Amino acid sequence: MTKSVRSISTAIAACVALALCTFFALASPASASSGAEAFVQSNVQRGLQILNNTSLSKEQRQEQFRAFLVTLTDLHRIALYTLGPVRRTASPADQDAFVDAFRNYAFAVYGAEFSKYSGQSLRVTGSIQRAPGDELVRTVLVDPHAPAGQEPIEVDFRVYNSGGKYSVVDIVVAGLDLAITEQEDFSAFLAQHNGDLKALIANLRQRTERVRTTGRI
Amino acid sequence: MRGFFAAVGAGAALFLSGCATAPDPSGANDPYESFNRKVFDLNRDVDRAVIKPVAQTYVDVVPEPARDGVHNFVTNLDLPITFANDVLQGEAERGSETFLRFTINSTMGVGGLFDVATRNFHIPFHTEDFGQTLAVWGVDEGPYLVLPIAGPDPPRDAAGQVVDIFLDPWTYWPHFRSKFWWSAGETVLEGIDLRARNIESLESIERQSIDLYASIRSLYRQNRNNEIRNGKPDVTNLPNL
Repeated sequence: MTKSVRSISTAIAACVALALCTFFALASPASASSGAEAFVQSNVQRGLQILNNTSLSKEQRQEQFRAFLVTLTDLHRIALYTLGPVRRTASPADQDAFVDAFRNYAFAVYGAEFSKYSGQSLRVTGSIQRAPGDELVRTVLVDPHAPAGQEPIEVDFRVYNSGGKYSVVDIVVAGLDLAITEQEDFSAFLAQHNGDLKALIANLRQRTERVRTTGRI
Repeated sequence: MRGFFAAVGAGAALFLSGCATAPDPSGANDPYESFNRKVFDLNRDVDRAVIKPVAQTYVDVVPEPARDGVHNFVTNLDLPITFANDVLQGEAERGSETFLRFTINSTMGVGGLFDVATRNFHIPFHTEDFGQTLAVWGVDEGPYLVLPIAGPDPPRDAAGQVVDIFLDPWTYWPHFRSKFWWSAGETVLEGIDLRARNIESLESIERQSIDLYASIRSLYRQNRNNEIRNGKPDVTNLPNL
């Protein structure tokens, strides 16, 4: 095996965290130095409360968590980004169908990872402002099960602020950007299928159904 | 042994540069995509048939402390290459971390079996290779390439692996150099260790992606660039959502 395989392994190890990471709470309540940091901090706290609510069944917790995530993230914006250049030529009806299919797909495939939650949390470490209303909030994953001294995984949230309303538009885990990865995945599919957006929508729906019914692809 | 695949990579890159290439439909700097996809599928078949079952058995049969020992041992053996590349990149602090780590783990860690440097001294861990060094020196990755067994290995990274053989002091250690089986054994062990540590992660990625080849290509490159930047976020190249 070569170094390239090692770097792939790091990449894919981080991907599990990428799915898990969106969602966990703050370990220590450091004072936020920016509105975006405060937004991440407080909402991650709420997320943890939901995931730890043992008075609900696992399915109820996951449902509540999904509803909670919908309020936090701009899934519409993310979905349209993943379409790439096809977005410009797609009809509004197709775009809406795609956003809907993408939303269900994202919750199904990433939701499968929620069931692995076992006490992890996130700690805000700072933020970088890219432009007014565009910030990268930096956190680290705190994992009680990780061996002592192991390098913590860095999770960055891309937070947009439009008119005082914050939303998460992207997540970067250990250098792996969710929006970029999904965009390149879907673009390749579209390139292999002559830009057929309906085929992509159908594929996403099939995949979602399979994960829901069998728990795996 | 490790160098065998790197040499194949370098050779493949040279060979392919002479081949007629199809236009690049996805714009992903992957002019050899149809070739790459075939190799990728071959690799998946081999993985399904042989590598994953072996790795799974390894996990099921060998107790975790022993597996950790194996991992620590093979990781430690590669530290001299990391050190050489830290130096070539002018990274004094990272170089000294590597040097300390190697010294501590080889001695107190009993030949690298125990990762004392992390557990007791909290020395940060990183790896470097000549492919990263070339990138730091400004060399572009080149067209995407997937090699048999080795997987994604674009020309810059493949060439880097060849150079790393010459940077590796173990290459010159008479004991190792004269014994093919030592090197082959170490490569196999490293491969099994690597595969065993990523069984669940790879399954997650398979679940999450609709075009696994493209997902891996994207992840490989993003991860590689993250390594080259030494983990610093690339704020300027974030997507415009």
